[in-house]
Amino acid sequence: MNATLYDVALTAYIVATAAALGYLVRRSDWLSRLSVVTTQFGWVCHTVALVVRGVEVGRPPIATLPEIVSMVIWATVFLELWAERQYQMKVLGAFVLPVVLVLGLALPTGLRALVPTPAIKSAWVWVHVVLALLGLAALVLNFAGAVMYLLQERQLKAKRPGTVYYRLPSLETLDRVSFRALSLGFPFLTAGLLLGVLWAHAAWGSVFAFDPVALLSIGMWVVYAATLSGRATGVWRGRRAAYFAIAGFGALLLMLGVGVVVQGRHAL
Amino acid sequence: MGTLFVAGLSHHTAPIEMRELLALESDKLREILADVTGAGGLPEAMILATCNRVEAYGVAEVPTEARDAVFARLGAHRGVAPATVAPLLYTHVEDEAVRHAFRVAASLDSMVLGEPQILGQVKDAFSLAQAVGTVGPVLHSLMSRAFGVAKKVRTETEIGRLAVSIPFAAVELARKIFGRLDGKAVLLVGAGEMSELAARHLVDHGASPVYVTNRTWGRAQELARSLAGVAVPFEDLHATLAMVDIAITSTAAPEPLIRAAGVRDALHARRERPLFLIDIGVPRNVEAAVNQLDNAFCYDVDDLRAVVEANLRERQREAQRALAIIEREAQQFAARLAELDVVPTIVSLREKLEAIRRAELDKALGRLPDADGETRRVMEALSQAIVNKVLHAPTVKLRDSSRAGHGRRFVELISEVFGLGGPGRGPGRRGPEA
Repeated sequence: MNATLYDVALTAYIVATAAALGYLVRRSDWLSRLSVVTTQFGWVCHTVALVVRGVEVGRPPIATLPEIVSMVIWATVFLELWAERQYQMKVLGAFVLPVVLVLGLALPTGLRALVPTPAIKSAWVWVHVVLALLGLAALVLNFAGAVMYLLQERQLKAKRPGTVYYRLPSLETLDRVSFRALSLGFPFLTAGLLLGVLWAHAAWGSVFAFDPVALLSIGMWVVYAATLSGRATGVWRGRRAAYFAIAGFGALLLMLGVGVVVQGRHAL
Repeated sequence: MGTLFVAGLSHHTAPIEMRELLALESDKLREILADVTGAGGLPEAMILATCNRVEAYGVAEVPTEARDAVFARLGAHRGVAPATVAPLLYTHVEDEAVRHAFRVAASLDSMVLGEPQILGQVKDAFSLAQAVGTVGPVLHSLMSRAFGVAKKVRTETEIGRLAVSIPFAAVELARKIFGRLDGKAVLLVGAGEMSELAARHLVDHGASPVYVTNRTWGRAQELARSLAGVAVPFEDLHATLAMVDIAITSTAAPEPLIRAAGVRDALHARRERPLFLIDIGVPRNVEAAVNQLDNAFCYDVDDLRAVVEANLRERQREAQRALAIIEREAQQFAARLAELDVVPTIVSLREKLEAIRRAELDKALGRLPDADGETRRVMEALSQAIVNKVLHAPTVKLRDSSRAGHGRRFVELISEVFGLGGPGRGPGRRGPEA
């Protein structure tokens, strides 16, 4: 049941993405509305699918890495819907949803496979995962904001207004959204990773041995930490901060991808 | 029964010399309106006269005659013969007239798409006609709806929002870079109509403080005063550059005043916050290489012109969306207009039959003096039922035919057949509710 629901959710996200991209190009209001409505519908189905999954396996659906990817998508979509309304940015969907889709379609999100329940009893692991994935969701928005910033900046530098120039908000707004997303996501990420490190040390003795996901997570964290400090001190902003956001996101994708593919201690 | 029409000339069909001759002042228009409607055959009229169009809107039995009457009088004031004007005129009736009215009010027929003045001008023309008493139910609902549609077009499309002049384009770009302009500092170097206008617009949008510098100290002070800003000695130009977010240059200097090195220093001092340079000078006052620097945006006059052109093209695209809105609205309005055509006739018919019923009923009851209440009630009910049944088919037919677009034919037919005394002479023809 949850597999069907999840498929429905993914299909809704696909339709929403197409509508959002269409809106970017053709700017007709009904495309924007269609995108928002299908996103909301997809998210509701997704929520139900997660709940059903949780009930089926008798635990929160955040134990296996594929499940976590699904949760990241879920949280990201929620954040996107909120940010789009908050900042009045109808084009946000066109930049966030494709990322969501890539994550959702390219990575197995494992809500179908009934993976054997991992032997983890500690509640700290759940907290580690929840915090980390909330952080990741915010960082997806940070990435989308960075991409939009770079696109808009390029238009302004080229001095010949194109489609993008008219659709995107000001550089200042994009920079601010990116920064806010980073400020929001980073503490969650830090707390989540910290818990993960502590728990891993307690459970396995050593944190890093044979666990590419943990290593990559730390690497990703370092990139984001650098970005945040650069931004906070005013040393980095605008384009440079955008490049770092993209680098950080690259690390994020790498971490998730590796975690799903390589069966290290992290993937269960 | 009149036909809604609009006739006139505009910048599309006539040169400015002709438009000037026919665009008379309000008091003359008043006279003309009173004159043409008094003669009969033109129950409703309104004249819109601007530098870009002179149009007559109205309801007339023979629109072409009404049009000729209006333009003959308009031409008479400055000796323009009707024959000269006639080939320049366009005439639209019914649905087309509605569409035209909506397009004009929404600034889709203007020389500059999306210009804001036309709506006010149409409203003024409407008020004038109302004051003279030549606005009837049809014009009233048409214009009210036109104002509503114009507002809708302005809010739902970008047609009026994109800058189509260089000073406004500069402000628009500033907002694309900085978002809100509150507290963003501006430096004005030199003087000139365009640069001062741009500075003024920036200030209107919240930019402050404003620094002004000029080779001539007196001029700098003068400008600073008029912009409520601060005059700065010319030697301090580069130092001030580090303190502002937007710099407008407009001097006659033969060599660039601001070079890449200077901007780099300013950016460094500003911790890489963006710097927007608007270079209106010819030759350019800002070195072209400045635009290559990170976080510096430099637009010269050609670039600004390119932005204006791009905006105009975008307005064209928005115009497509606006036209779609207008088409929908015009169709809805035209349908309601058509439907209301038949109501007076239905009412007339009803009244006629009712009069017959009453007369005959009284006659019959007169011959039955001993009739009791019950009998009277029965006779009343009988006569009423007969009338209703007879009325039913024609009423339905009239409504259906109006919806299908040929209501007039049936109105004329039924009026003649039932001897209703001519179409449209029913009690109080009401226009469609706008």
